[in-house]
Amino acid sequence: MMKIRLNTSAEIKGTIQDIPVPDVVRIPIPKKLKPVVKKKQIVGCGQVIAEISSKGAYNLGFVHASIDGMVEDILPDALVIGPLPPPKEGEDAVTPTRPDPCTELDSLSGEELCRKLLELGVDTSKLHATRTLVINGLNPEPGIIISEQLLQNTVETLKAGVQLLERALKPGAITLVVAAGRNVTVHGCTTVNASDTYPATIDPLVIYAATGAEQPANVDIISVLDLYYVGRVAETKLPLTESIVSISGKTFRAPVGTAVQELLNAAGCTAKTDKKIALGGPMRGEAIFDLSIGISKNSKAVTLVEEGFFPPVQPNPCINCGECVLACPARIQPGMLSRFAEFKLVDDARKQHVEACLECGMCTFVCPANRPVLQYILLAKQLLAAQDAEVATCRLQD
Amino acid sequence: MASQELTKNLFSVSSAPLWHCGRTVRSTMLHSLLALLPAAAMAVYRYGYDAITVIAWAGLTAVVTEFLMQKWMEQESTADDFTALFDGVIFAFLLPSTAPFWLIITGSALTIILGRMVFGGFGGSPVCAPAVGWAVMTAAWPEFMDLNAMLLNWDLIEPLSELKYFGVDAVAEITPVSLLLGDNLGTLGASQVGLILLGGLYLLATKQLRWFIPVSFLAGVFLTALIFYMIDPSQYASPVFHLLSGGTMLAAFFLMPYPSASPVWKLPMLLYGLFGGALLIIIRTYGIYPDGACFAVLLINLCTPLIDLIQPKPFGGR
Repeated sequence: MMKIRLNTSAEIKGTIQDIPVPDVVRIPIPKKLKPVVKKKQIVGCGQVIAEISSKGAYNLGFVHASIDGMVEDILPDALVIGPLPPPKEGEDAVTPTRPDPCTELDSLSGEELCRKLLELGVDTSKLHATRTLVINGLNPEPGIIISEQLLQNTVETLKAGVQLLERALKPGAITLVVAAGRNVTVHGCTTVNASDTYPATIDPLVIYAATGAEQPANVDIISVLDLYYVGRVAETKLPLTESIVSISGKTFRAPVGTAVQELLNAAGCTAKTDKKIALGGPMRGEAIFDLSIGISKNSKAVTLVEEGFFPPVQPNPCINCGECVLACPARIQPGMLSRFAEFKLVDDARKQHVEACLECGMCTFVCPANRPVLQYILLAKQLLAAQDAEVATCRLQD
Repeated sequence: MASQELTKNLFSVSSAPLWHCGRTVRSTMLHSLLALLPAAAMAVYRYGYDAITVIAWAGLTAVVTEFLMQKWMEQESTADDFTALFDGVIFAFLLPSTAPFWLIITGSALTIILGRMVFGGFGGSPVCAPAVGWAVMTAAWPEFMDLNAMLLNWDLIEPLSELKYFGVDAVAEITPVSLLLGDNLGTLGASQVGLILLGGLYLLATKQLRWFIPVSFLAGVFLTALIFYMIDPSQYASPVFHLLSGGTMLAAFFLMPYPSASPVWKLPMLLYGLFGGALLIIIRTYGIYPDGACFAVLLINLCTPLIDLIQPKPFGGR
């Protein structure tokens, strides 16, 4: 049996490859955003297709068309853009209008710059002015090499990103966290080496490695991928329409909304239904049922897992062995919490610090009873949130 | 639209994580049974066909009892994860090799019923099931569990009862090497000390077992015995003798780390082992039974919920 390795650092062989521009893209639209285009409308690459209604500077970024084409369909969670219609007889072919580079990007700073970035598709709401900024340069999960690939091949872009963020946020100090034994720096950041073994690569633990504090209030974290996106916007001054995705040891640059099928073709992978396909890594990825689903900016990777290779997760009884407790980076008792959730004792789960869970999935990974431990914990969290919301509405009515 | 979707190949989904370390209850139990195999083979070599019958009856009864109980409790049968077989074999290891078959069957059935099923099954039990079986049998039929009486055919001595009834001089002749090789009378499997140790090391090496409990238990035995030994070497046996005699090794590697009955945090595991080891020596020194291994395990099992209250603060907790 293949040995499962959880260390994420890998030797980077190739460079970032571009994917041929697809004919059809299916761009995911977050629930909070409102589409601003109609069916059959001709859109140009970079044109806004969904925007947020609030005028604040910190929110979800706008979504832009990633290819020239015609809006084919508006789905609840995505927008399909197909090829341009052939020109009618005697008429000129329609030329979609692409937005001009946003020249004022260089002159803006502070909140105005953040708003501009939001309109260009970059979300800075998780970052706050004057706080310490940690750049997570560790590959997020085993099998995903994007962070180290970007640090190796796109230092200039990352530097532009850091400079832009310095203008937008004026952060206190900037620390870059990379795997042990690696010596990279971006635009004069302090470099800190840390363990590259999952779950040490998740954000709270990287902050701990960089600052020595657990969940400190005055530290923000940004992944190398997000920093690269900021850098791309700074360099091109155009809306963000591309996504970096890692598949089986290769890294691709593709328009947002490219179908998973096209990426698999480019990577030379075949996927039949004997495999599970997930957007994201093997530990936190989201399994998809259909290869026509388009990738988003935050997909990071496409992971293939052979069906039946791993023992199936089932609602077996907990055997109290304590493996999850030893694996848990949050120092809680996942097994116990999962049993609380199983029997709907969510108040006990709260007493046992269910909210400290970092959702890394190690508990389910190590569980010899193959219990869906993390899933139970997420259920407990959701039930607690629903309970709190109910309490809040009751208070309002009083 | 819908009919189009249906004709496409759809992939099955599941929630993250998609990977698993591959370890299951079944694989752990198979490793544990493999770890017991050398000791079982040695027992057969030493006690002959009797040993096979004892292990077979105990194992079979445990599996059948579990199956019937689960049928009755309307649970799904878990015979295929080998936990019942493991408990049965461990129970057999605690018996004299000449135990009558009715004793084996009763004891093995009680191991499963009182040790596991009354608590809901494997994983629910707050006590080590084979130790429960042994304790009930020892209390109910002490004469059939008495090693010296049961093993009269063999011209050897049982170190722990010699120590109990004739003092430390009686065991002065017994060398650690002979204890390791199991050249003395003893229970069927537990007395094959060297091979039990080998099995335990195998489990540690394959990471089926964490070192915390076995090592701290052996340290607890050693330190407590050392204290007694330093008080009066002419009255108390040496720590090495205690480490290598009776059920100490079996308790360290197979009874103490019983998953549901042992603590889960690191420091509690170490304390659990240390106190368990101390209890073993105290029971051997002051108790009425020659070997206190199973009683020590059962007593410290009951302290597990208390010890497990020593918990670290959660990540980011203040």
